[in-house]
Amino acid sequence: MDTFRAAWLIACRDLRSYFRDRTGMLLGFALPIALVGVFGFLSTFLYGEGGAMGRASLWVADEDQSESSARFLQLLADAETVSLHPAVGEDAVTESELRQKIIDGEIHHGLVLTAGFGQTMEQGGLPTLRMLRDPGRTMEDMMIQIGIMQAYFGVTEGNAWPAMMGRQMRQLGMDDDMAKQVESFSESTLQLMRTVFPKSEEEPEAKNEELAGFDMQNFFTQMVPMEEEDFSPPDRPKMVTWMQAQSISGITVMMLMFGLLACGVSLIREREEGTMQRLLASPAPRSAILWGKFMFTAIVGFIQLTVLLTFGETVFHVDTFRDPATLLALMVCTTLAITSFGMLIASWAQTQKQAEGVSTLLILMMSCLGGAWFPLQAFDVPVYVHYAMRSTLTHWAISGFQGMFWHQQSWLHPAMLLDLSVLLGFSVLAACGSLLLFRRRLDA
Amino acid sequence: MNQAPLLQVNHLRYAYEEREAVRDLSFSVYPGETLGFLGPNGAGKTTTLSCVCGLLRKWQGSMQFRGQEFAPGKSSKQRALLGVVPQELALYGDLTAQENLQFFGRLAGLRGDKLRQAVSRGLDLAGLSSRARDRVSTFSGGMKRRLNIAAGDLHSPELLLLDEPTAGVDPQSRNHIFETLMELKEEGRTLIYTTHYMEEAERLCNRILIVHEGALAASGSAQELAQSLDLPDANLEQVFLQLTGRSLRD
Repeated sequence: MDTFRAAWLIACRDLRSYFRDRTGMLLGFALPIALVGVFGFLSTFLYGEGGAMGRASLWVADEDQSESSARFLQLLADAETVSLHPAVGEDAVTESELRQKIIDGEIHHGLVLTAGFGQTMEQGGLPTLRMLRDPGRTMEDMMIQIGIMQAYFGVTEGNAWPAMMGRQMRQLGMDDDMAKQVESFSESTLQLMRTVFPKSEEEPEAKNEELAGFDMQNFFTQMVPMEEEDFSPPDRPKMVTWMQAQSISGITVMMLMFGLLACGVSLIREREEGTMQRLLASPAPRSAILWGKFMFTAIVGFIQLTVLLTFGETVFHVDTFRDPATLLALMVCTTLAITSFGMLIASWAQTQKQAEGVSTLLILMMSCLGGAWFPLQAFDVPVYVHYAMRSTLTHWAISGFQGMFWHQQSWLHPAMLLDLSVLLGFSVLAACGSLLLFRRRLDA
Repeated sequence: MNQAPLLQVNHLRYAYEEREAVRDLSFSVYPGETLGFLGPNGAGKTTTLSCVCGLLRKWQGSMQFRGQEFAPGKSSKQRALLGVVPQELALYGDLTAQENLQFFGRLAGLRGDKLRQAVSRGLDLAGLSSRARDRVSTFSGGMKRRLNIAAGDLHSPELLLLDEPTAGVDPQSRNHIFETLMELKEEGRTLIYTTHYMEEAERLCNRILIVHEGALAASGSAQELAQSLDLPDANLEQVFLQLTGRSLRD
């Protein structure tokens, strides 16, 4: 009997058992789908639609209750980085309530607009804001500061700029006279700009770039001499965010690994349940046992991947089937790499418990390093972390799917070819390793 | 025996790391013979059968099957000459009896009508024709044991190795298995059979090998063994205890 036929017989037997356990099979598909769904859905909130940064919650106690404070809060609510509370319909909170909420861990930032906010503003002064915060929430702190800065410039219509410059100079150690000169210079500059770029009062909706007038909110961002040019593949779906594509790729790869490991463990089950003896004593070539498990695992993996990607397409419209050839190449290489990894673990482990323990650890580590949980590749990491990331098959699989979803690369693109080649390399190495271990185990 | 042996085992040795499980064991099995392989726990019976059927590959010594060098661990063709009924139940609980036999039959190279006939015969042999479509996980221990034998004999091998096929079953199943083996014997099949049930071996086997601590202690028919010990009226169990001692084996 030839190896392929024997392997196919063993794979068919395993598939029959796999599909016969309907609850197990449904769980095998439902759990990954649920996780892909949850992560894809959550990524919309965490990173915002269109790939923008998400919003940090900011609670506010308005003790001034003036027109200016209301206008400030409206601008703050419009800021892209802040989600303002209490929202419309929610009860107002006091400063002491904010303090208690932070102590209780219910919120991390509370802003107090003290009495006199509006009056100070009308007098041309800089009203002081009071921020109550949990000091460990640095990321949220940065996002809130950006929102407050935008709202502060907006509410003062730029009038606070000279005073802010003076305050900043004093904080840097400049003496009062010099700081006042800076304030005076800033005031003159502001007036000059307003004269040159008058604000259109009559037709605010119709204003174009030339007639936009002086806008302090965008003033600083426009100071850097920068021409912005956007590049995005023409076929990229507009609804998809980078983080969504990352989440779907990452969780799909991670769940596929978990699913396929369970299949790979069937090799150990044969040993533990005694059927391995009969397989070994049969006329089937011995390597057919390993290849049979390989085929079974790869077939299940391919089906799981198809179901997961179809789900991703249906729910998140990531345009999965845009390029069938690239999709097929990626699915095959990813399935082969993960299957080989599963077989390597199954060949190494002596018991199911060993296999499950080691593989869970490795899968979680590889998922973390490979970017399945968060986009590690988007950050500047130390060289050794960089190499650790690139040593995982998850990194290359996710990179391939991201290349297809986000960058719309075809399988002939050099970056995609690299991803596919590395995945195939992983497959060959792991398959050879598992064959050696399997043979060694037989001879032990 | 005047005819040439079907299987000849010469100076077989096998060690599990430091512990030598089989020590210089030589024996022959002749066509149509039922050879009883007896010994206390840990005597090396299962290890010997595992070497013969190729499950263990790093043994020393030599084996010939019909006069040809025999190393079934390295040759799938040579494994096809053998049928193995392992001591552990080697069946898939989530498949039916029929599916188990079909799978093992296909692995043994059977197809088409030959496979259908072999499966049907196997189900008859196991007395499970009426339960053919039931999953093995729903079977009793005795039913599984019977099916285990049928799975090993599906392709009608030239030599059938049975490792304690009646262990742990009720008297009815044991009787069924025994009658099945008698049928095979009457068909002229060649069997190597290990058991702890002396009366079974006495009734079934043409010749008995008693192994003790990995080496051959005695061989011959039950009667010949008794006479060799000057205990002409002794039964096989008394002979066995005389040869292997009464101390417990763990």
